[in-house]
Amino acid sequence: MYKFFLYAMLIIIYLGLAKALSPSEIGIHYLQNERGFSKLIKGDLATVILVDTHATGFLIKTYYQKYRVISGYDTVEELIVRTSKEFAQKNLKHIGLSLYRKTDVSEEFLPLPPGSIYMGNREFGDWSKNKKGESRWIFHKAFKNFPRYLGWGTFRPTREFYQELKSKVSLNQPYFGPNGEFGPNGKVTRENFPQFFKDERMKKVEMKTLLIEYFKENF
Amino acid sequence: MAEIFDRLVIRLLLALFVCLMIYVYRYAHVIFYPTVKRQVLKKINPAENPADSLHLFSRIIGIALIFSSITFNETSGFFLSIFHFAVWGTLAIILYLLSLYIIESIVFYNFDYTDEILKRKNMSYAVISFCHAIVIAYLTRTVMIEAENSLVILLVLWLYMLVIVGFSVKYYTFISKLTFNRLLIQKNLSLCFSYGGFSLGAGLVIASCFDQEHYDITVYCIQVLLKTILSLIIFPIFKKGLVRIFPIKLGEERALEGRIDTDMQSLGYGFYEGSVFIAGAILTTMIVNRIQFGTIYPFF
Repeated sequence: MYKFFLYAMLIIIYLGLAKALSPSEIGIHYLQNERGFSKLIKGDLATVILVDTHATGFLIKTYYQKYRVISGYDTVEELIVRTSKEFAQKNLKHIGLSLYRKTDVSEEFLPLPPGSIYMGNREFGDWSKNKKGESRWIFHKAFKNFPRYLGWGTFRPTREFYQELKSKVSLNQPYFGPNGEFGPNGKVTRENFPQFFKDERMKKVEMKTLLIEYFKENF
Repeated sequence: MAEIFDRLVIRLLLALFVCLMIYVYRYAHVIFYPTVKRQVLKKINPAENPADSLHLFSRIIGIALIFSSITFNETSGFFLSIFHFAVWGTLAIILYLLSLYIIESIVFYNFDYTDEILKRKNMSYAVISFCHAIVIAYLTRTVMIEAENSLVILLVLWLYMLVIVGFSVKYYTFISKLTFNRLLIQKNLSLCFSYGGFSLGAGLVIASCFDQEHYDITVYCIQVLLKTILSLIIFPIFKKGLVRIFPIKLGEERALEGRIDTDMQSLGYGFYEGSVFIAGAILTTMIVNRIQFGTIYPFF
């Protein structure tokens, strides 16, 4: 009994020390849920886009998420956090969407297409009519890289898109674009976040294939 | 041809220099074991006292092990590389003998070298001392390699290593059924094989904990500490597992306790315990050091 107690103590000490001192635990923040963004994101007019998500571990999984943090007047940064299982799984269908937005006066946690915080803000851009007579949101020259940062590619939102987005926000519902352009099944997201949609990450490998590849590589 | 001959000459000269350093070691040995002055400085007669021969020559194996970690860099100049070897070799001799002195003071706190080796020719004591010499040499070698020619880091790591070894030798009483002091007095060979296996195993585990890349001394020391604790968690699993897989019989059924005690003091039991300790330790190093968990970075 004494030895068992000693052994249990040893395991607790190891776990405690590893948690407190291990370099892999230092520098990566933990995000329980979307409310945790408030502490992590410092800049104003910031939007946080979910870029990638990954789970490590065999029996007990650790969930990681990679975000692109775009602050209106500051730099673009990447942020890697550990998250809870619930939060990670809930946001699997929100890849490429903005999960958090922060303005001077408010915070939003609804998953929306990236850049929604800047649409309609004349400091960042304006509505401009194209040859077809469609009115689209165009960023000012100072923010010409924003469509790339936001993962828009060649996509430019129309006024209808903006109106629909606002109505979804008022209903407190996530929005994926009029034709589902954003999110894991959206064309725009798939084109502009290729890392997450790489073939080797998407395909499910059967055990038989795995074994054949193993024997080919090793013998 | 001239270049090849030159390199051969350099090798021969360096070999002679290493011999000179071992000669220096012979006198350094006397500082820590003043009582052997007469034996060490005269011609040694191995047949007269095998325990003493084992005790002395184990240290020579040890110092050879440590010297093998020092590198000559001929590109920086022959004399500079000789000077480098002389400085680090001297340091190695001092640290090695000091480590041995401290560890043997902990393990043999009830015993005296003169009594056990010179008077009683206690082979059990000599074998245990032999194992200490090899283990400490191996660990000092590891620490010297990890220090990468930095004296400060060497001293920090050496002290750290000494603390871990100091604790580890006390662990023997926890995991062995043999009574160390009583059996050592009786010159019991079962004890020396059991303890020998234990100390060699512990040495392997500790060396494997120190053997890792380091960029920052604090992080490195933390990693070593974590690996040491992890080894303490893993080792009992292998020890218990091996004992369960290969069960042994001690004494006849319904035998008196004395009979079981006698069986435990037999040479076979010493081999058994020693082998279990070494095998367990090697497997522990595998679990602690050879599992690559990877990181999130290839994915992100």
